[in-house]
Amino acid sequence: MHLLLVGISHRTAPVDLRERVDFSARGIAAALSALRARNTTQEAIVVSTCNRAEIYAACDDPASARADVSAFISDFHGIPSSVVADHLYHVTDLDAARHLFRVAAGLESLVVGEPQILGQVKSAHAVAAEAHTTGPVLNRLFHASFAVGKRVRTETALGSGAVSVSYAAVSLARKIFGDLAGRTVVVVGAGEMGKLTALHMKSQGVQHVTIVSRTMAHAARTAEAIGGASAAPWEELDSVLRASDIVIAATGATSPILTKAHVEGVMKTRRSRPLFIIDIALPRDVEPAAGEIEQVFLYNIDDLQATVRENLQRRSSEVARAEAIVSEETEKFAAWFRSRGAVPTIVALRQRFDAIRRAELERLDFKLASLPPDGRARVEEVTRLIVEKLLLTPTEQLKSAGDDPETIAAFSEALTRLFALADHLEAPAESPRSRVEPFARKPPRPR
Amino acid sequence: MNAAPLVLYTAALIAYAWHFARRHPVVGRSATTLLIFASLSHTFVIGMQTMEFGHVPVAGPTSAISTFVWLLGLAYLYTELTTDERAMGVFILPLLVALQSIPALHPGVEDRAPVLQGPWFGVHVSSLLFAYASFALACVIGITYVLLFKEIKAKHLGFFYARLPSLQVLDRMNQVTVVVGWVFLTIGIVVGAVWAAQVRGYGPGSLDPRVQAMSLQDPKIFVALVCWFVYSFELFAARRIGWGGRKAAYLSAIGFAIVLLNFVPVSYFLTKSHNF
Repeated sequence: MHLLLVGISHRTAPVDLRERVDFSARGIAAALSALRARNTTQEAIVVSTCNRAEIYAACDDPASARADVSAFISDFHGIPSSVVADHLYHVTDLDAARHLFRVAAGLESLVVGEPQILGQVKSAHAVAAEAHTTGPVLNRLFHASFAVGKRVRTETALGSGAVSVSYAAVSLARKIFGDLAGRTVVVVGAGEMGKLTALHMKSQGVQHVTIVSRTMAHAARTAEAIGGASAAPWEELDSVLRASDIVIAATGATSPILTKAHVEGVMKTRRSRPLFIIDIALPRDVEPAAGEIEQVFLYNIDDLQATVRENLQRRSSEVARAEAIVSEETEKFAAWFRSRGAVPTIVALRQRFDAIRRAELERLDFKLASLPPDGRARVEEVTRLIVEKLLLTPTEQLKSAGDDPETIAAFSEALTRLFALADHLEAPAESPRSRVEPFARKPPRPR
Repeated sequence: MNAAPLVLYTAALIAYAWHFARRHPVVGRSATTLLIFASLSHTFVIGMQTMEFGHVPVAGPTSAISTFVWLLGLAYLYTELTTDERAMGVFILPLLVALQSIPALHPGVEDRAPVLQGPWFGVHVSSLLFAYASFALACVIGITYVLLFKEIKAKHLGFFYARLPSLQVLDRMNQVTVVVGWVFLTIGIVVGAVWAAQVRGYGPGSLDPRVQAMSLQDPKIFVALVCWFVYSFELFAARRIGWGGRKAAYLSAIGFAIVLLNFVPVSYFLTKSHNF
């Protein structure tokens, strides 16, 4: 069994092509069942986000499966294969595993360390599980990837720190005020930027938003657009400021509308309640000296951008630690994955031994006929235990040789010859359970 | 006997520091577990001493320090487990280790003078120790407040920004711990004053020179009153002149520095009234 990944992402394709191969548009379940109908893969999972569309598959013949999955992508979306082919990437086995681990860790994301991707990988697996297109190999692979994502998140700072200006503002507000639920925001200016920032604050739990503008009608219109916000006339600016916690200054004024003296006056009546002023206007609305006042935290758009840059830098310094976790987990998965190479030999060996046991019991059937029923059951049990014990060590040895495919091949070859397993490997006998058990009056106890 | 808790406190300190630097959740949980074991072993030590002496070991300055460390450890554990906030540990633990090394390395004698028999003694000492533990928390919270405040003001969001709770939470915790500490400090001082006045007039210890030294001129009593004024001012300023945030944090730190001064050097070398 081999692993195969065929995909397209922001690294290989422009956004318009990515939009056309977006599986979630037509339903991932539909894609999975269409893929299964082609019968070239045993297991399949589709990971589809706005930055990537990837098909993970378990198959016997990676070369032909690769061609077919690539063809499937262009067929399913109705795009000529010549258009897609150049942008597709494909890797197999442990490289595919490593790639998924990197995706789950957020290392492959457009914004490194963004938090949504792990949830998207999880839901991709859930959809496939529901459509019954997963199996032991992909289940193991995806669960390992969840572990990678979780470890990277808890053990590194890859996902820490806001990486957009509006999140940086919200994160600062949280560090100053704690919970934002009971906080009041005042937006000075009725423009688009102020409106967007207020909407963002509202989505983060702020309850009261007041818009103050020189033109009351503009303020009222913006307040209505935000929904649940109130408008106040310009003359009331001071009293609104006194009652608020966060000020978003976003007017088109050419000279500062909030001077240091002005803010000092507002702070006098506030005692030690902090005031967080976000100046996103260009040119600035707030005199920079206002930030010197105790309990006033003044950030302008450049300051916020600087913190975003710092966060991005910090994230990139964490990449190495995340990569180390990915490598570690890839090694763990590799041990399991390679040991699967021995599985057919192990199965054949067990079937061979069990067939011999059964044949002998059948041959001795007449001699055992005089035994009472539970005596016969005991004989059945004892013979089975002997076979189990005999097979225990060879099975373990085969599995633990998992790291080295050559050893596995040598072991398999030797076992196949020594026990004449060739015919068993070619045509696996029917499952032992379905055979008539010669002595089993009652089904053997589950062990 | 105080050495076992010291070793465990030190181990917990290392784990808290490691957790603070690398923020590995497993390390954080082990840090808390180590501190819980340290507190348990310390509880055992104090329990053993209580049985040995027939009273809680708080009469001499050395054993009072040990009991104070024990209370502070428990108070910190309580805040950590209720707020799920582990960042403060790295500031509290050094204090625990430093103070606990005094009773661990120089075990004092716990010999209760006849004047200290009676219920007033227990109320006086235990409320003061509790007040000091509360002030220690306030001090640590105040220091972290200032560290975070400076980072945000300087627009350089880094180490503490990623690790500490919000300014608002720290400010409120500072207020609460100072109020609790102030209440117990007041109770402790009032009880001590009433009790000393009683003993001086009559009773078994009226001839004890230490009782005769109980006055405002005694450094221990004087410094305790200074503490009371500092914390009273902090509470008054927060309510009347709007001194919250950084100023309150500084006052908490100054207040506890005075407490510590009173607790160790004054107790050992200067006081004539409290050297039991």
